[in-house]
Order: sequence, then C-alpha cells, then structure tokens
Amino acid sequence: MAKRNRGLGFDYNIFADYSERLEALGGDLKEIFTDLLEQTAETVEWDTDSAMAKGNLPRGGKYSTGKTKKAIVKDSRVKWTASTGEIPLGFDWGKNSAAGYLISGTPRMRPNFRLEDMYARKRYMANLVKDMQQFLLDEIEDRMGG
Amino acid sequence: MEDKLIEVLETLGYPVFLQGSLLEDQPYPDSFFTFWNDSTEGMSFYDDNENAIIWTYGVYFYSTDPLKVNSKLLEIKPLLKKAGFICTGAGYSVRSDEVTHTGRGMDIIYRQAV
Repeated sequence: MAKRNRGLGFDYNIFADYSERLEALGGDLKEIFTDLLEQTAETVEWDTDSAMAKGNLPRGGKYSTGKTKKAIVKDSRVKWTASTGEIPLGFDWGKNSAAGYLISGTPRMRPNFRLEDMYARKRYMANLVKDMQQFLLDEIEDRMGG
Repeated sequence: MEDKLIEVLETLGYPVFLQGSLLEDQPYPDSFFTFWNDSTEGMSFYDDNENAIIWTYGVYFYSTDPLKVNSKLLEIKPLLKKAGFICTGAGYSVRSDEVTHTGRGMDIIYRQAV
C-alpha cells in the first residue's frame, strides 16, 4: 500500500547481501554507505526542489511565501551511531511549512502531483532503491577488477 | 472504481467531493468527505497481461465538529471493508483551507481482478 508517509524511508535489509560482499572484498562499509546515502539525499533534495517550482504550486505559486522551500533538507550528512547511519531526506517536518498539505491536498487544492509522486507513491522510492543497488554493484565490480 | 467508493462514502449522509474540486469562493459544508486516487498499479502479470489492478485512494473527512473528525473515518472503515476496500490504521491529521474546519485522512486500497 502506498502510504502517505511524512518522510522517505526504506528497509536497509535489502542491502544486506551487498554489504556482505563488499565487506568480504575489503570495502569500508561506513565510507561506501556514507557516499551512497549522501548522493541519494542530494537526488531527493534536487527532485523536491524541482517539484516546488512555481508552475507546480497551486495557482502558479501566487500564494507562495517560500517557507516550504526553506523546509527542504539541504546538504544532508549521515550521522553514525555505532553501525547505524541516519540521514534526513526531503522535508524537515519540524519546520512550519505547507509540505504536508501540498502532498495530500485540501478540499480546494489538488495534491501537488510531483510531490505526491515522490512522497505518497511507491514508484519514486522503488527507483531510488534500484539506483542505490546499482551503486553498490558498481562498487563490488570495481573491487573485483571488473 | 470511484463510483463504488462514492457510494460507500455517501452512506453516512455527508456530501462527497473530489479533493481539490471545491471552488475558491465555494463555502465548505459543515461536514463532508473528499477523496483522491493516488495511483493504480498493474499486478499479477501473466503472458504480458495484468490480472489485477491495485487502486490506492486517500479518503478525507473535514468538519467543524472535532468529535466527528475523530469518529467518522473510523465509522466508515467497516463499511469500506465490507465493500472490498482494504483499510488499516486509524488515519492521520490533514490541513484544511478553512480555520473553521479540521480534517483527518486515511489511505485505502482496492484490489480489482481484471
């Protein structure tokens, strides 16, 4: 079910096999995953920013104050606690912004199609995960001399 | 599929609208439902043909009465389930255009055999 999550997230267990193979090949997992997560965060930042272009906003951005754009997480960095890494993606939900109702819409305003695509449907995250898996596969191939 | 959903939502006697379809100067009814089709997804592929479609909807209830906002989605849930929709959880808060109204939403899905 496409859940209208307030953030983006995925199950890290899908990368367990890749992690094992990289570790066996002498890869520094922390370094590799830091690079991967920060690149992913940059992609999400760019896509979210594009989704907030005036043309995609209600009434062509006539009522836009810029607050929601300021709530987009920028230059996100991974924070490690032991072997668990966390990185904020998308919107900073702690800031006052219109992100929530741009995604779900209101009785007078249809959902923002681009933001809904990213935050309320499965396809965007599924494509992100594919890109992340390819990144890890490339790392594995490099180490195998491929 | 919208017809099926609207039919169920109308059983509680409140107006039902497509999310975003109220005009800028159109007043909110005191209490009402809205809905939005988030996505459809083909499933159960065989021989290059889909044999099922998963419909995903957001269903919202807005009201001037906070007690209704908290209860009506839970009231409609068993009726939606009886009609074949899959609903889980108790919903989430949503914003409204009017300060007089609050709202709650719930995501539901329907698996349609084709």
